[in-house]
Amino acid sequence: MPLSKPPSPGGRSNQAPSAGRSILLLDCDAFFVQVARREDPDGAGRAERLLVGGSSGRGVVTSASYAVRAFGVRSGMPVAEALRLCPDALVVPVPRGACVERSRAIRAELETLAPVVQAASIDEFYLDLTGTGRLFAGESLAQTAARIRGRVHEATGILVSVGGATNRLVAKLAAGFAKPHATRAGGGGETGVFVVPPGREADFMASLAVADIPGVGPALAGELEQRGIVTVPDLLAVEPEWLARWVGEGRADWLRERALGRDDSEVTAGEARKSISAERTYGTDVPPGPAGNAELEGRLLELSMSVGATLREKGFRARTITVKLRDADFSTRQRSHTLPEAVESDRAVYEVGRAMLRDLRARGRATRLLGIGVAGFEDEAGVEQLDLIGPDEPGAPVRAESDRDRTLSRVADQVRARFGDDAIRPGRVMEGRAERDSRRRESDES
Amino acid sequence: MNFSITRQNLHQGLASVSASIPSKTTLPVLSNILFETSGDGIRMSGTDLDVGVRLQVPAEVKEGGALTAPGKKLQEIAKELPDEMVVIETRGDQIEMRCGRSRFKLNGLPSEDFPQLPQVDFDGGWTADGKDLLSLIRHTSFAVSTEESRPVLNGVLWELRDGEMRMVATNGHRLARMRIPAGPSLETTTQFIVPPAALQQVQRLFRDEDQVTVAREQNHLGFRAGNAEVYTRLIEGTYPNYEQVIPKDNDKSALIQRKVLESAVRRVAAVASDQTHRIRLEFTSGRVILNVLTPDLGEAHDEIEVGYDGEPITIGFNANYLLEVLRYVGTDEVKMSFKAPERAAVVEPVAVGDAEPMDYLCLVMPLRLVD
Repeated sequence: MPLSKPPSPGGRSNQAPSAGRSILLLDCDAFFVQVARREDPDGAGRAERLLVGGSSGRGVVTSASYAVRAFGVRSGMPVAEALRLCPDALVVPVPRGACVERSRAIRAELETLAPVVQAASIDEFYLDLTGTGRLFAGESLAQTAARIRGRVHEATGILVSVGGATNRLVAKLAAGFAKPHATRAGGGGETGVFVVPPGREADFMASLAVADIPGVGPALAGELEQRGIVTVPDLLAVEPEWLARWVGEGRADWLRERALGRDDSEVTAGEARKSISAERTYGTDVPPGPAGNAELEGRLLELSMSVGATLREKGFRARTITVKLRDADFSTRQRSHTLPEAVESDRAVYEVGRAMLRDLRARGRATRLLGIGVAGFEDEAGVEQLDLIGPDEPGAPVRAESDRDRTLSRVADQVRARFGDDAIRPGRVMEGRAERDSRRRESDES
Repeated sequence: MNFSITRQNLHQGLASVSASIPSKTTLPVLSNILFETSGDGIRMSGTDLDVGVRLQVPAEVKEGGALTAPGKKLQEIAKELPDEMVVIETRGDQIEMRCGRSRFKLNGLPSEDFPQLPQVDFDGGWTADGKDLLSLIRHTSFAVSTEESRPVLNGVLWELRDGEMRMVATNGHRLARMRIPAGPSLETTTQFIVPPAALQQVQRLFRDEDQVTVAREQNHLGFRAGNAEVYTRLIEGTYPNYEQVIPKDNDKSALIQRKVLESAVRRVAAVASDQTHRIRLEFTSGRVILNVLTPDLGEAHDEIEVGYDGEPITIGFNANYLLEVLRYVGTDEVKMSFKAPERAAVVEPVAVGDAEPMDYLCLVMPLRLVD
């Protein structure tokens, strides 16, 4: 997991300032663009203005080369719009299989260079170098970072930017300053390395906006902005009691810790994640029957969206979908379905889950908990079993997920990342929420 | 109802019929076997609503009648009874069983509750050699799909045309087709998609030397030989045009010792991904090089000698599909032909000496690296 999310109001985080640790974050520069170039040196490799993304009419930009970004093109933008801004850009499809392989190669190289390596996503890696000071004989963290950056480039051909600090939060933010074309003063764009020295975390944070802090979403940033809090110093200037009153005690503590550049979350190598799930316990059991089924299906859609978003964020696709129901008598029942192909879209996760939910609900028992999970992450992305039967023949393969489903989910992710979680929702989820709200109001009134 | 039956006949009958009983059902009567007296014996029937089995067993009938009783329980009891005559009698909805000094009473359900097996007119049917029928089933039914999303592929296509019986099965990734001349008696031209569960019952109940009468009644098919009958619902829908996918222009072919390839594939597949089971076969002059590289797991390399003198070609396969096909092709030597890395490869048996050649082939679709 990358950085911890803000605790919900009421939660509490008691984190001591991290000292004495040496953490690096390696972030690949325009990763998909770099891989596409290496895969097709004569085509994509020669195009300075390169767009990686869906090439169909409705496709979106997954990644754009820096030359194209200069035209205002951003990830998540429809390809058609990107081409209006930069008409002579070359559009190539996402080299998925090659990206996974390249990401593995980077990780393998890093594992020879650092004691603890954690892949936070397909193109981001945390390294914990704490305690290696002697090993690297007087080398500064910045020098180590530069050396590792060089080794990764040598071994895999991929350019990375490296942020360094005494904790993950500051290392991640520092990596932004190390990026090519980083515009901020003191940026490490030249060297690809930016290290915040121990003890200087708070000074570093003071140059940032509150919205830059990972975990501060558009909703929270907007709420704070209404109260005149835009920069980190603005935030620190507010009396803690006031902040607690505005955003809740737990969240206020969390924000202040972050604003001071403190984070003691650990870099954990461990096993890669095996499953992702979300569940919901009902205060009142959901009765059997059509109304209850509709309520659960609406909720299943919300849970599927949450699971789908995490899946895509991690750059995974999953083959096995499991739905879990806990009956009113606490007995837990579940169904699993393994698809012939791995999926990542909300719709596919939901549709497969819904069929199993209906099956589980057929027993006619009241439900107290509903959960959905995905597992069986694709271990060899890009391997495709060819089919004998053409798409228009009887018995043609039924895909659980279309390119359109994937594009839709990714575009929705981008919209949410920019405008907040509620910016885009299926109508069904909106209706479900409206109904629940009105029921709550009714019960409050009575 | 009152009849006496030898323990062997009772046990054999129950064992044959209870295989058609569903292990889990929401309709309790389906866990039961229907007993009906008929002429010089009794008839036992079992069904899961899709496939039904009926068996005529010799018995000494004292009083006619019908009742259903729990199949698995009866079978458990019959297995342990001494080898003596068993007397079975009904009292209301209860069945009473006596054998030597053993006595059993089991609660049954009225025979009217039992679903009626399809009425099939065997006089309007045709006959097939048990040996041919069983060989067709054995060589093809392994290839049916178990994916619910493509229901027509959940059955075996059985065609009667041009004086031949053909069976074809596929899951879309690999396909098996076998053809056998049907003899002069077969004039019918027809086709249907049969669930593999029914064919399994046919394999269990009929022998090579049987002449099996087959008849169709609307959406059902019946098989009969000797004292046994199998009924099945047919799968509705149009089967894909399989002829179209069988390559006719595979211009490279290798002659391979089946067991040698089989064990090499099995060896390297140990390192293949659990999901894709991907292995690579590289055909070069006189050799096949097998390679597996699975990220996070490891790699394997192996080589075997084969008869091949075509252009070098590398094809990726799901090892499981390849192993399965090799097992069913069966001959010591097999011919594998292909055209390109993304086109279907064909595996066929190679008959040696006087052995009768089989008109049998299996297709395996390769794995491709996308992007």
